[in-house]
Amino acid sequence: MAKLLDKQRYKCALAAMQTVQAIERALPILHSGPGCAQKLSDTNGSSGYFSPNIFPCTSINEKDVVFGGVKKLNSTIENALKVVDADLYVVLTGCIPEIVGDDTAEVVSRFKEAEKPVLYAPTAGFKGNNYIGHEQVVGAIIDQYLKKSDKKQKGLVNIWADVPYQDLFWHGNLREIENLVSELGLTPNTIFGYQRGLENIKKIPEAEYNILVSPWVGLKNVKKMEKKFGIPYLHCKTLPIGATETSKFLREVAAFTGVDSALAESVIKKHEDYYYYLIERYADLFLENRVINKQFTVVADAQYTLAITKFLVNDLGLVPAKQFITDDTPKQYRQAIEEEFKKLNFGLTADVEFETDGFKIHEEIKKHDYHGYPLVLGGYYEKELTEDLKGNFLNISWPVQSKVVFNSYYAGYNGGIRLIEDIYTVAVQRFN
Amino acid sequence: MSEIRQIAIYGKGGIGKSTTTQNLTAGLVEHGKKVMVVGCDPKADSTRLLLGGLAQKTVLDTIREEGEDVELDRIMKTGFGGTKCVESGGPEPGVGCAGRGIITSINMLENLGAYTDELDYVFYDVLGDVVCGGFAMPIREGKAKEIYIVASGEMMALYAANNISKGIQRYARTGGVRLGGIICNSRNVDRELDLLRAFSKELGTKLLYFVPRDNVVQHAEINKKTVIEYKPDSNQAQEYRNLAQAVIDNTDFVIPTPMTQERLEEILMEYGMMELADDYKI
Repeated sequence: MAKLLDKQRYKCALAAMQTVQAIERALPILHSGPGCAQKLSDTNGSSGYFSPNIFPCTSINEKDVVFGGVKKLNSTIENALKVVDADLYVVLTGCIPEIVGDDTAEVVSRFKEAEKPVLYAPTAGFKGNNYIGHEQVVGAIIDQYLKKSDKKQKGLVNIWADVPYQDLFWHGNLREIENLVSELGLTPNTIFGYQRGLENIKKIPEAEYNILVSPWVGLKNVKKMEKKFGIPYLHCKTLPIGATETSKFLREVAAFTGVDSALAESVIKKHEDYYYYLIERYADLFLENRVINKQFTVVADAQYTLAITKFLVNDLGLVPAKQFITDDTPKQYRQAIEEEFKKLNFGLTADVEFETDGFKIHEEIKKHDYHGYPLVLGGYYEKELTEDLKGNFLNISWPVQSKVVFNSYYAGYNGGIRLIEDIYTVAVQRFN
Repeated sequence: MSEIRQIAIYGKGGIGKSTTTQNLTAGLVEHGKKVMVVGCDPKADSTRLLLGGLAQKTVLDTIREEGEDVELDRIMKTGFGGTKCVESGGPEPGVGCAGRGIITSINMLENLGAYTDELDYVFYDVLGDVVCGGFAMPIREGKAKEIYIVASGEMMALYAANNISKGIQRYARTGGVRLGGIICNSRNVDRELDLLRAFSKELGTKLLYFVPRDNVVQHAEINKKTVIEYKPDSNQAQEYRNLAQAVIDNTDFVIPTPMTQERLEEILMEYGMMELADDYKI
């Protein structure tokens, strides 16, 4: 049934141009109408060597619909290769050429002999949102660029987490997970952000393991890599935030990759000691501050709703009201994600709903009794609502309008401390 | 000045829509009517007999090569008896979107003012199957209000006609489009007239005219002419004049009642085709 899009928290699959942009010196080539990229581009950390304003685009019009847009696509790729100095070119299709039936794969295959790799990811908006689009881009790299490697690099581990730009904290999160994994004596390999790029992409098949840190995004990709490259994967559904989940994460990774458990425990102890030292120092703040009450709600994608719910229950001892997942999680993953909300400390479980309609989410938040000031962590849409309810609000998921994020992050032990800082910064300012 | 009668001709591929439309047009011209024929088929062969060959550049070829800033006379040619002839054309087979092409070219004709008051009839000769929205363009709001389906006594022709009726029914609910009847382009199959009458009745319409089979049609086609131009005194020329008269006189426009596949097969059984198939002799 048709419905009104109310407070949508994602974009269409073509927004995976941001996934390409997050790969250093990779350039999206858009086979789409002229307005798509304009609508999809973002001003949060998206300028730089390439920005959406210079992405080559076929800017197809009615004539290309009638006669097919393949000629224009061919010349756009050809000229992009001539005038834009990139390491990797990824052709992304919008809705129009996919409906008309342009054979984009065939056009892209004409550039097999080009000096630089040219790949194709079908990202028609009607295929899904940018979480799906992100998977399509990673899938294109696996399918079209990489080959199975006989050479394996001891201890090399590919890490897949986060959807760049959709999650504003992507860069910091990835770096922190890398840091943690390298403390276990492993060599992390990621492809997004500063000084990663094509060289790291090339190393993907040489890795011993894949670690996926995500409730569902990327599961298809690691499964494909298991089949194609013979790389086994560990699926950590929860982005680790704070001590409980991060220690659990490190133990899982160590067990899966054969890292000595004594080493893992020593890493964990070092971090936990510092973590709890900080927590202890602020115990009086937690006790005396009457503004953060017991109950909270997270409105975010599956990654953050799950991660933050676990953190606030396990590490801060808060009680979950209803939680909302807004990323239109494909149905086949939902049950497994719901199960995770039952695995909380203190015998608690959280009620979770997959809901993309912001109106319905707000209605539910409004009618719930939070036994005090509600704590709402969500998109900017929840700001006004939380203010109306005299609650405390923190903007952690897209759209983010109340925070500038360069490289800060919530992942890991440090990330957990950052999140506590951010929540209590809201709390202490309340009666200032 | 009465309103232009805009008529769309549909029917199974190869049934003779273009031949029938052009001969019918020639008949109307003899009655003193002003007619425009718009070919809505990427093959662009809907005006060949009126123009004496594929003399015409299609709307879409013109747009492709010269852009959208074109004059009407670049895409409209005058054929037999002053008929105005336009071919929508389309992309090369296998690329692009032919349906959108038809929408584009009909919009262009409107913008260029092709629908002048002096016209009595506009015919849209549409490709066999209404495969997507584009091919339904001629029967959308504000375009053809009158539809004739060309059929024969063959099973697949009737199957297609029934299917097309489903499309008409859909558009009729919201717009003014109506079915004017079935035109039989005879294939000389057994009891064809009875079958077509029964079929038309089941669809809630009538058999508007039964055009007999005659080789002179093929001869005229080879000579790139309508029968009326090629052999004005032939019986077949008279048949087409009669068809033209039937169209002029027709006032029965209905919302069709398409039937189920089972019912269609029942009708075919009733008129003996299924049993007789075994006795087929050459």
